Amino acid sequence: MATTALEHELKEMIIETLELEDVTPDDIDPDEPLFVEGLGLDSIDALELGLALQKRYGITLESEAESSRQHFANLRSLAALVESRRQK
Amino acid sequence: MTDLYLQDWRAWTPHRETDGESRLDTRDKPAGKAIPSMLRRRLNLLGRAVCDMLLDLDPSADAIVLHASRHGDGERTLEMLYGLTEGEPLSPARFGLSVHNAIAGVYSIASGNRRSQQAIAASGGEWAALIAEARGYLADDHSSVVVVFSDQPVPRRFAAYAPESCSAAVALRIGQAPAPDARRLSETSVTVETPTLQPLDIIDWLMDKRATVACPMSRRGWQLASVRP
Repeated sequence: MATTALEHELKEMIIETLELEDVTPDDIDPDEPLFVEGLGLDSIDALELGLALQKRYGITLESEAESSRQHFANLRSLAALVESRRQK
Repeated sequence: MTDLYLQDWRAWTPHRETDGESRLDTRDKPAGKAIPSMLRRRLNLLGRAVCDMLLDLDPSADAIVLHASRHGDGERTLEMLYGLTEGEPLSPARFGLSVHNAIAGVYSIASGNRRSQQAIAASGGEWAALIAEARGYLADDHSSVVVVFSDQPVPRRFAAYAPESCSAAVALRIGQAPAPDARRLSETSVTVETPTLQPLDIIDWLMDKRATVACPMSRRGWQLASVRP
């Protein structure tokens, strides 16, 4: 499946916000896990990413852990979240 | 006062020449090779330099680490405070790394070192505080400790309130035993008024560009001498 424009935008946001050194958008597989495995992000990154989503797209995540886990599973689920809930 | 022994040291600053001294790294950007990239990205240049030096001085990650810095990461802390006054939300990663023990903390996560660590700020008396703390651990039967002193310029808006300083970090492994290749670190009382000690002064002293370093706050001075006659 090809990467959409929104997915590419999110890749760049992740790299910039989380100050990922030596990572390019091509290195992020949209179907690979973002956290722990795959890209290897940690819990502080999750908070940071939540903040970035709020700033850029006006999305406020509910504090309930299970739904956040699903939204943050990989780049495609993150793109789906932004697509459906973005305010700006 | 009992003599201490300097077993080895490392330093980083782009503001000096190496003069053939391999223990001094003068590159603009330290490699940060000691820390995996996913942790390294959260460290500033000083943090990267300090972690590299700790790996060199304590490859088995088993040393007690004392880290002193007068101002810590002032840039990061003040940026967050200015952000708060504008009503901006805090960055969790930046907040986590703005604390005074951030560098030692990242080092302990990366290296697996679970020994005691201390983060010290002493309003200009950092070097004297490091030596005093080191004496405490050594008196408690630890064979050696690693002391680290690092600082960077204070943010421009506050520069008028602190002595001018430039980015430098220095790490020393200090013990009580007079190993043949160690140097004796002796401490004396001094009464002369001298400027506040900064990491760069310690580097100059280690490279024999000055004979004594002195702390005006504690009125103590330190000299290095060869152990071998």
